[in-house]
Amino acid sequence: MKAVGARVPRYDGVAHATGRTEFVDDVRVPGTLWVKALRSPSHHADITRLDVSAAVAMKGVRAVITADDVPLLEYGHLSALGIPADEPLLAKGEVRYKGQPIAVVAADDEEIAQAAVDAIGLDLTEKPALFDIRKAFDADAPRIHQWGNWYTHFEGGMDRRQIRKGNIEDAFDKADVIVQGVYRPAAIEHVPLETQVSLVVPEANGRLTIYSCTQALYFSMGVVAAHLQLPLNKLKFVGGTVGGGFGGKVDTATETICALLAQKSGRPVKWRWTREEEFLCSSTRAPWHMEIADAVTKDGWILGRKMLTLHDSGAYSRFSPYGLTKHSFHHTGAYSIPNLEFDGYVVYTNRVPTTAMRGFGVTSVSFATETHLSRIAHELGVDPFELRLKNANRIGDTSPNQIAYTDPSTVPTILAIANALGHKLTPDYRAMTRDPRSGDLLPEHLVAQIGSTEGH
Amino acid sequence: MNLSVNGVPHNIESAPLTSLLDVLREELQITSAKAGCEQGGCGACTVLIDGEPQRSCLTPVVAVEGAEITTVEGLGTPNDLAPVQQAFTHHYAAQCGFCTSGMMLAAHAYVEHGGTEDREAIQDALGGHVCRCTGYVKIIDAVAAVARGDSFDATLTAAGTRMTNLGGVA
Ligand code: FES
Ligand code: FES
Repeated sequence: MKAVGARVPRYDGVAHATGRTEFVDDVRVPGTLWVKALRSPSHHADITRLDVSAAVAMKGVRAVITADDVPLLEYGHLSALGIPADEPLLAKGEVRYKGQPIAVVAADDEEIAQAAVDAIGLDLTEKPALFDIRKAFDADAPRIHQWGNWYTHFEGGMDRRQIRKGNIEDAFDKADVIVQGVYRPAAIEHVPLETQVSLVVPEANGRLTIYSCTQALYFSMGVVAAHLQLPLNKLKFVGGTVGGGFGGKVDTATETICALLAQKSGRPVKWRWTREEEFLCSSTRAPWHMEIADAVTKDGWILGRKMLTLHDSGAYSRFSPYGLTKHSFHHTGAYSIPNLEFDGYVVYTNRVPTTAMRGFGVTSVSFATETHLSRIAHELGVDPFELRLKNANRIGDTSPNQIAYTDPSTVPTILAIANALGHKLTPDYRAMTRDPRSGDLLPEHLVAQIGSTEGH
Repeated sequence: MNLSVNGVPHNIESAPLTSLLDVLREELQITSAKAGCEQGGCGACTVLIDGEPQRSCLTPVVAVEGAEITTVEGLGTPNDLAPVQQAFTHHYAAQCGFCTSGMMLAAHAYVEHGGTEDREAIQDALGGHVCRCTGYVKIIDAVAAVARGDSFDATLTAAGTRMTNLGGVA
C-alpha cells in the first residue's frame, strides 16, 4: 500500500514529455499499405449490388475484402460468454447504420485507396430507419432485425433484464404520493485525440503482429482469432499505449479488418480513421430512455420504484446486454429502495452501435435517480439533502440484485457536500452515519419495511 | 526544398503541397507531432515555425521553405528536460500523452514570449488545443509553474515530498 496516497511519478511521464511515447500510428514499417473503407451512405437499406471488380483492377490496389472474405463473419466481444453475436464484420445483404463498413481496400497510398473505394459499385434499396428507442419499442415499428427490435437472450431466454424485489404492489398501496419522471440522456462521442488505428504486419513465420490501440487487448485478440479462424498463437498483439479511449476502444474497430487485408496482400497494413469517421462511424455512449415511478411517503421515504429502461444499442448488440445488466443492478443509484419492479430492454435503432463509456450503464441511472430525487423533494416540499440522507445506502442494506453493502459511502458523501455548500441540517441529520439502520428518523410504521435488512 | 528541424537541415522530397505534418511524420520519421484531426481543430500537430506555434496539418511544406521547425524532440531530452517538459512531468499534465507535444510547444512559446502565470492568459494561449483526458487543470498548473520560473528537482513530487522507490511503480 506504499503507493496509496503517495504522489508517484508516472512510468510514462518523461516519454510523454519528450515525444518518445510510441503510439500505433508512430510505428514505422516500410511498405505499409493504407486502408480506406466503403461505408454505408444509408441508415437502413438492402444491398442489391456490390461490385468491387473495378477497385481490384486498379493499379496500386493490393487487396479488397468484402463479407465473403471473412472466415467467420459474425462474432461478438461477448460471444465467449455465450451472448450470441449479431453483427457482421462487413455488411452482408443489408446495412443497418450509416457508416457501416461494406468493403475495404488496402493500397499503396491513401489517394489510391480512396479512388478504389470510389470505384466500387453499390446499389441500395432504402428501408425505413429508426433513430429513437422509444419509437423503435412500439409494437408496430418497422423491424431492424428479423427477430424484432430488441435483444432476446437474457437468462432463461427472457427478452428483458428483469428485477423483482420485495412487494411492489404493497409499497404503491402504502404510498402517500407517486412521483413519476422520464429521463432521456443523449449519445456522447468519446472523442479520443487518437482516432481508431491499427497496424498489422504479416511475419515470415506465418504470424500476424498486430499493433493495436485497444483498451481491451485480450478481448481484441479473441475477436480477431475467431473472425480469422486462427489459433491464438498465430497472433502477436502489441498494445498498452492508448491515445485516449474512455470506453470507445473496448470495441475492436480496425484490427480484424487490417489482419484480413494483411493476410490477403501479404503486406503490412495500417488503418487510421479520420476524425470525420471517428465522429460519424465510431461507437458512442448510448442514449437511454428511463421511466421512473416512485412510491413515496409525504415525509420523503421511498417505499418502492417501478422502472422501465430502454437502452439504445444502435444497430447491433455489442456490449449492450452487459451495460444494461450493470444498469439494472444500480438502478436505485446510491439509495436503498426496498420494493422494486424493473424491466430493461436492449433496443435497436439505426444509429451507430453504442458501447462502453466511463461508468458503463450506471451514469445514465445516476443522472436519472439524482434528478428524480430532486423532483420528489420539490413535489413534497422537503429538503433535498434530508430526502437523500433518509434513503441513503447504509451498511447491511442490499442492492437491487441482493448484494449487501459493506462499505457504502452515500451518507458521508452527502454530509460532506452539505458542509461544503454551507447547507444547514438539523442535528438529527448531521449525526447520521452509514451504520446499519437502527430506526433513527424512521417512523414506527416503516421500521419493519425499511429498518430491517431482511426482505430487501 | 530545404527545411531545418531542431537545428538539423533536411532536403525535402515530398510534393510542395504536402502538409508539414506529413513531411515530419512520413518523410522525416519525426513522430512527436500527432494527427489528431488533420483539419486544424485539435492542436495535436502543433510545431514551432521560427518560434511561433502553428498547426502543421494546415501548413503546406512549400510555405515554410527555409524555416526553422521545432518539435518536442528539439526542446530537451530525457536526461536534460526543458523547463516545460519538467513541469508537465512534475504536475502530471500528460495522461495519454497524445495532445502533450502540441500543448508543450504552445506553452513553451507562451512563456518565451513573456507569458505570465495568469490562468486566463494561459487558457487563451492554449485555447486551440484539445485535451480529452486531463480536464486542463494540471496543464494550466504546469504552464503557470514554468511562467513563475519554478525549479523542479527531478526527485521531488508535485506535493514537494521526496519520491521513494516504490518497487517498480516509479
Ligand atoms: S491535427 Fe492539426 S489541428 Fe488537429
Ligand atoms: S493527455 Fe490525452 S488528450 Fe491530453
